[in-house]
Amino acid sequence: MDDKVAIVGVNYAQGDDLGLTRERLCFNAVRGLLDQLGIDRHAIDSFILASNDFLEGRTISNVFEDGPVGAYLKDETKVEMDGINAVVYGALRILEGNYDTALIIAHGLCGHQVSPYLQVQYSLDPTYDRQLGLLNELSGAALQAKAYLRRHGLDEGWLDRAAAWELSCGASNDKVTRKLEGVDEAKVSSSAYLYEPLRELHCYPPTDGVCAIVMASAGRARELTDRPVWIRGFGSSIDSYYFAGRDLAVSPSAGEAARRAYAMAGVDDPASRIDLAEVSGLFAYQAPLLAAAMGLAGEEEAPHRFASGEMGKDAPLSLNPSGGALSAHPVCATGAVRVAEAFRQLRGEAGAVQAGEPKLALAHGQDGLCLQQNTVVILGI
Amino acid sequence: MEELKETYFTPVVPLDFGYNYRLGAYLERYLDGLKERKILGVKCGGCGDVLVPPRMYCGKCRRKLEEWVEVGDRGELVDFTVGHVSMSKGKLSPADPYAIGLVKLDGASCPLLARIKGVEAASLRPGMRLRASWNEAAESDYLVLDHFGPE
Repeated sequence: MDDKVAIVGVNYAQGDDLGLTRERLCFNAVRGLLDQLGIDRHAIDSFILASNDFLEGRTISNVFEDGPVGAYLKDETKVEMDGINAVVYGALRILEGNYDTALIIAHGLCGHQVSPYLQVQYSLDPTYDRQLGLLNELSGAALQAKAYLRRHGLDEGWLDRAAAWELSCGASNDKVTRKLEGVDEAKVSSSAYLYEPLRELHCYPPTDGVCAIVMASAGRARELTDRPVWIRGFGSSIDSYYFAGRDLAVSPSAGEAARRAYAMAGVDDPASRIDLAEVSGLFAYQAPLLAAAMGLAGEEEAPHRFASGEMGKDAPLSLNPSGGALSAHPVCATGAVRVAEAFRQLRGEAGAVQAGEPKLALAHGQDGLCLQQNTVVILGI
Repeated sequence: MEELKETYFTPVVPLDFGYNYRLGAYLERYLDGLKERKILGVKCGGCGDVLVPPRMYCGKCRRKLEEWVEVGDRGELVDFTVGHVSMSKGKLSPADPYAIGLVKLDGASCPLLARIKGVEAASLRPGMRLRASWNEAAESDYLVLDHFGPE
């Protein structure tokens, strides 16, 4: 896709405990972003919120946030999925031609206010899986980790190395929850088992987070910033709910989402064209699994290249230089944060985690159990 | 004006209510089968897959599944995990290690997630044979098929 829709600004925060009400957090994120762009709420044509009623403990929860984000008496809508889908929604609204600007606001407060595991636990089939009580986000991920390790002949030491690598990237990122200076394989392998082979440091940390993104049509984008980041393509796909019938060592839906995004972006060889990928790997094995599914690395080489740091910020293709979702996972905002991380990388504003001078980036978000649903956005400058 | 602080996680807001779901005819028949120590599946006339627990449509072929079959109460361990925590309402609590695994029953095309007992965690291996263990006195129909143990 040519220069049609751009991201012109992002503002996000993540942490173990951001210490504010959700309304205040959303307000701060939006106010900060509008001030940064020098506009007010009337410059926004379409407000798109992404949050989860179940995690908020109230239905139609956006009605409480419309005030703080400035959406009252404006065009307002909501996505009850990971925030990257709100970015896609925003792009579609602008492409449709009736809107010149869209504000995406995604948030999830699972640091201390509510368990991050609730969303997946209560997404399970109430008439079967919930009755048996065996399946949850962590036990499902453990079985997926086992399948992935077995497929590639890897041991738990690899899982420790992969986690240590991704967390060490996050250690230099000021914007993450789990900032572990000097984290190494030994530290990861000494964290407690949750469901074998997954230990605590193989799994994402409970996180508070909010992410605001302003998108605009080509003409408006150039008025709002000198350096718009263009949306080149997007795609999404969902696999079967019945995880026991899936081959857990792969994610065909991530591959299909990426294929659609690449087709739109005119990317025929993603491994050589994409300079930077920010994927929502919630568990240590997922970033390389996703990278391979999306054609960014070979299936066999991906786990080794990732865990050994060969896909670090100095590599031609950097995978999760931010520390990824293993360093911060604000449920519902994580995919939007991946877009925001890609935005600041493409603009050369990523500070300590800057990965060279990327021109084309991939951002990924997921929902569901064991990578069931995946959405991919390609961004370029 | 003095800056107001936001410090307290109060009040605690419980959500405590239940839902009555209809099971659907297929799951109802499956649970009735368990009471007779039968594990029932449905066979797809298109791809030949046998789905356990039974579902009305084949995900691969989009065909309605109408042929009921009884699968074996023995099968092969596909994979397993040993839990060191348990999860209830999203909250993790420490637990004595316990095993859960995917068991592919003889005659079924997809594995069933189940508790595994009677085998030391260190001895669990994919491919090992397991057999269903029943508990007709279970409080819930779902738990009549209690666990899988050594064949």
